[in-house]
This record gives sequence, C-alpha cells and structure tokens, in this order.
Amino acid sequence: MGGRIIFACAIVAAVAATSAGARPSATPGVSATEIHLGSSVPLSGEAAIAGNVARGIDAYFKYVNDKGGVFGRKLTLTYLDDGYDPGRAVNNTIRLIQQEQVLAVFSSLGTSNNLAVRKLLNDAKVPQLYVSSGATTFGRDYKKYPWTIGYIPPYSEEGELYGRYVVKNVKKPKIAVLYQNDDYGRDLLAGLKRGLGARAKSIVASVGYDPTSADVQPQVTQLKASKANVLMVFAFGKFSLQAFNAVSRLAWKPQIFVNDVSSASALMAIVPQKAANGSISIVFGKDPAAPLWRNDKGIKLFQSILKKYGSSVNSRDLQDGYFTAGMATAYTMVDTLRKAGKNLTRQSVMNAATHLNEKGNPFVLPGIVIRTTPSSRFPLTQVRLQRWSNNSWHPFGKLISAKP
Amino acid sequence: MRSRLWIGLAGFAVLALVIAALPRFISDFRARELAIVGMYFIALLGLSVLTGYSGQISLGHGAFMAIGGYTTAVLSVDGIYGHQIRDLWTIPIAGMVAGVAGLLVGLPALRLSGLYLALITFGIAVSLPQLPKKFDQFLGGTTGKILNLAKPPFGLATTANNWIYYLTWGIALVLLVAAWLLVGSKAGRALKAVRDSEVAATSSGVSLATYKTLAFGISAFYAGIAGSLYAIANAYVNPDVFPIILSVYLVVGLAVGGLESLVGLIAGAGLIYFLQNHADSVAGWINHLPVFNLDPKQPGIPSMIFGVVLIVVMLLVPTGVGGLVRRAFGPLTSRLYTRS
Repeated sequence: MGGRIIFACAIVAAVAATSAGARPSATPGVSATEIHLGSSVPLSGEAAIAGNVARGIDAYFKYVNDKGGVFGRKLTLTYLDDGYDPGRAVNNTIRLIQQEQVLAVFSSLGTSNNLAVRKLLNDAKVPQLYVSSGATTFGRDYKKYPWTIGYIPPYSEEGELYGRYVVKNVKKPKIAVLYQNDDYGRDLLAGLKRGLGARAKSIVASVGYDPTSADVQPQVTQLKASKANVLMVFAFGKFSLQAFNAVSRLAWKPQIFVNDVSSASALMAIVPQKAANGSISIVFGKDPAAPLWRNDKGIKLFQSILKKYGSSVNSRDLQDGYFTAGMATAYTMVDTLRKAGKNLTRQSVMNAATHLNEKGNPFVLPGIVIRTTPSSRFPLTQVRLQRWSNNSWHPFGKLISAKP
Repeated sequence: MRSRLWIGLAGFAVLALVIAALPRFISDFRARELAIVGMYFIALLGLSVLTGYSGQISLGHGAFMAIGGYTTAVLSVDGIYGHQIRDLWTIPIAGMVAGVAGLLVGLPALRLSGLYLALITFGIAVSLPQLPKKFDQFLGGTTGKILNLAKPPFGLATTANNWIYYLTWGIALVLLVAAWLLVGSKAGRALKAVRDSEVAATSSGVSLATYKTLAFGISAFYAGIAGSLYAIANAYVNPDVFPIILSVYLVVGLAVGGLESLVGLIAGAGLIYFLQNHADSVAGWINHLPVFNLDPKQPGIPSMIFGVVLIVVMLLVPTGVGGLVRRAFGPLTSRLYTRS
C-alpha cells in the first residue's frame, strides 16, 4: 500500500517537474536571463586563424553583457571547432541544436560548411544567421531556405565591380585571371565577365588551380605569356601570396586586382611590394592594421573591447581583421535581437533579421547601411575600392553598391 | 581452442548488452556521438585486418570511406535511372564498391611493401577527393551532395540519433564477429604468416597474391561501410568531408586500439572522435595541473592538445589498449587455454 502511494507521488512529482521545466524552454536558448547562440568555426587545421571571427563575437557579447545585455538577458556564444571539415560542422550544428539548445546558429564559417547544414537547420526551423561566406546562394535562395541569411557581399558582385572598374579605367585592357577552381573562384570569374559586359572578350587568359595544389607559379607563368596588362587574383590564402611572389619573380607588371578574402593587410605586407603596390581590392570593414583608422572611434572601441573581454589576446590580435569582422557581425546580431523584442522566438529573430535598417555599425566603413528585406537577404552590400601602397590599404572613391 | 570460442562469446554477449542498453542512460546527442565512434570502429576493424594481421600499411583508408560515402550519396540522391534507393539499402552496395576498389589497389600492393605501399595509399587519399571536382555534374563538385536527413524506417518510434546509433552498432557487431572469425580461421593464419615472413609463408604454400589482395579488399569493404554510414549520419558529402587527415586519424586509432586487438579498437575509435570534438574538456583537465593555462578556443590549441594527448597515450600504452587488456587479463585467459 505504502509503495503504491510513493509511486503515485513520484508520478505527480515527475509530471510537475516536466511541466515546470517546459515553461521557460518555450523557445530554446532563451530564458529570463540568457540568450544562447551557437557557431561552428575552424579552430584547428589550415583555416584555424579564421576562427578569430568567433572570438571577436564572443568578446563583443561580453561587452554588451557588461552594459546590461539585451532586455536584461545576457548573450552567450558557444562556438565549436570543425577544423574546416563540413562533416564535423554538421555534427557541431546538431550538437548546438540538440545538446546546447541554442536559439539560432550564427556566423558559422565556410561555404561548404554552411551548405552542409542549411537543409537540416531549415527543416528544424532554426535560424541560420549571417553566414560567414560570400556564396550568393545564401542570400538568393530564401524561398527554398527561409531560415537562412548571408552577411558579406556576394563574391559574384565583387567580381562584377572589378569588371566595371576595368571597363571605365583601364585603356585597352587585356585581362588574365587566376582563379581557384571551385564555387568561390568561379563565382568571382562569372561576376567579372558580367561586369565587363560587351568587353568580356578582353579576358585573354583564365587559368584555374586546384585548392589542393602546391604552388600556382606555373599558372602565373602561363598567364604572363598571354601578355595581359591586368591580373585578377581570385585566389585564397597562401595561393594569393604565391601569386604575388610569382609576379614579382617574373618581373611582370600588370594592374593587379585581389579579391577581398585574400586582401588582409597582414598578408599583403609580406608579399614583394614591387608586385603588391598599386593592387586594387574592395573593402567594407574597418581594417585595424590600416593607419587610416588609427584614431577612429570604432577601431579604438574594438581594441578596448578586445583587450578587456577577449580571452588570451595578444598584441597582434589587436591588428587582426578577423576579430573586427566578428565584432561587426556581433553588432548586427545585437541589433537584430533588440529588434526582435522581449518576446523572443525563432520566428521573431528571423523577422528582425530580414527587416534590418542598421546605420552606424562602428566596425564597418562610415556610411554603410546594413539593410535587408524578406526578399533581399544580403545585409552588407556597400563597398569601397581600395588601393595598396606604402604598406597599407587606402580606400578611394565613393561607396558603391554590390547588391545582386 | 574451445575456450577461445567461449571467452569470445561471453565477451561478445557483454558488449552487445552494453551497446543495446547504453542509449537509455545517455542523451540523444551522445547516442549520435557514439554512432560516429561506431563508424570509426568499423573502419578500424578493416584496417586492423590489413595492417594488424596482414602487415600492410595503408595511409589511404579515408579514400575508401569516401568511396562508400559517395556511393550512398549518389544512389540515394540521384538513384539508378531516376529510382532513388533508400539510404539503408545503399550501405551494402557502398561496401562492395569500396571493396572492389580495394582489390584494385591491392594489385600494385603485391609489388610494394612497407614505406612504398604507405606512399601509394597516401597518394590515393590525396588524389581521390579530386574526382568529385572533375566530375562535378555527377558527384557534386566542391558544393557537394545533400542527402535526405536520416529517419528511422518502418515507422520505428525512435529518434534519428538513436536510429543511427543502433544501425551503426548493429552493423559493427556483425562485422566484428566476421573479422573475429576471419582472423581465427585458416585464412587469418595465412594473413599472419604473410605478415611475419613472406618467404616462410610462400614456402608453406600460402599464395601471397591472393591473401594480400584479399586483405585489401576486405579492409576497403569495411571502410566503405563506415563511409556510407558517415554520409547518412551527416546527410552531406563533399571532398572536404573525407580529408587526408582522416586517413591519418584512422592509423592513429589503430595504434591506440592495438594492432592485433579487435575489441580494443573501440577505444581507438573513441579517442579519435573525442580528441577532435572535445578538445575543450581535455584542456579543462590539463588546466587542473599547475602551470598549465590552455585556452581551447584559441586557434591552433585543439590541434596541439590532440598531439600531446596522443604522445602521452602512446607512452603509457605502447602496445595500444588491446595490448594493455591482454597484459591485464593474460594470466587469467592463458590459464583457461592451458586447462582445456
């Protein structure tokens, strides 16, 4: 008899516990005191350095928390290492949804890594916010994937801007293109052709290289033979570095255009300056290494936040553009959460993310407005051109649109 | 010999029971993590037959996993003549396609051994991921192929993670028994003879060609099954899902598990999963020691932790977990052997 009563009590207690537990978890990742977001980034492997984006976000969130958070809720970011392997990104994302119970996945890095999880996030109706990749598909295919939104200007638009610049400013252009033979390089190349329009025939040579190649010197030699006077470097990381080295070694003097993701000051500073000087690229974030911004309020804020809230930060990190890029995204994220209101749901976050009108993000170029609508999901679509000289980038011209 | 069978059966029964009961005590996501450990375990079983028993080194087993994964992806997304095949049924096909590829690789292996063979297989691991880029219409290029999310079939009332767990470990147990029977059989003894001395093996009438190629085929079959399951669990394949480092991890798992121990490989599989995905926990433990203050969120630190833990493990258990177990239980089992 006694056993039965205990059993009944246990059931009542269990039911009470589950219903009590159910209330605050109406929206995963949101409680009275906390908003929990997740991200998958490389912290090991070849692309590990790009993981600093997440560390920048983390520092910015801690700064916001110190100032009271968002509607009294503290922001937490759980970021997991995927070694730039899409398989591990899938596993991380499932862990973030199921184990960590995050509100949204935010600023995960890499094209393939985001493609790999897009379907599962959309099936689970979990927002995939501000994807750290310039592949056009993340902003374009919202009808099929309504829970996904990109962030940086699409690669294809970047290519198009270079094309238009050449048409306007280079007399008798003969263009050689070195591109990475995957979606990213081909996106840029296709954009370039569009930008050239009727002048697309001025591309006299285009050579792809495989991302697993050892060196691109053979490709550059081949391109030089075409007697081009313009060289497009649509290459990533070490390949871009090798391309500049090869150009210098071959004593070739083309007008070089280097794509945004390879234009980090730290990289440009170590290539032969003979080749690098005069190179053109696009820019939308403030570069903490550029003397231009040395006394800028935004960069000063960035450095003070990183010093105070960053974990194991060294002096080189204060000049690292990945950290600023992270803070720029984090700023937009905080904006999004404020806009989503006190009654935070995944739907309200997605609504806010597709109705942005953000002015004065201190970590991007002055004048840039981050704007989205449900049918225009490219938050950052204004850029300037910049030219490399005297060991740093110098923006020139007005803000131009990179909107698809 | 009788007692080998009984010890084996008893051990297997305990293992099967633990595997069957485990999901009741762990979270849904942990079941998924253990499923991936199971996939590594399957690949390691195959590698053990090849390296542990027949003495041939492969640094390219990630490539056979890739073949299995892509087979499943192509069959379940595009299908044959437009008829998509349910992911479950693609698993044996994936194993066989990889197995045939393994037999083909086994042919040059006849003429090469040791370091040279390792280099050839490493070359395969490097070059094979280029194929999907070459044939991107068919294999998806770098964009990859997106599979349907894994769902329990036949209306089974369980979560996707639990389904993948039971599927993987069910297959793993069957393949464990198969490998166990193989290494205890006449063929298994022939493999060991080839490993210990090719000259002696040939003079005792063992056909080197047959057994060396066979070992490659079997181990590639195992890797193909593992790759197929990995593709199903992730619902995505592209060349980066099977990076070169995966092949290296498998060799690491084999060394940690023990070259000649089948069950010990579970530990090897567990370690390679754990070190990849839980470097932060390891850093937490290390930080309890004086002097250390590792930040696992700093780029590069997870790789460092992986390396250091590996060195420590190999210093502590140079013969792998399997060797350790054998030493611990050796006196007991050898008494059983001598009694019968």
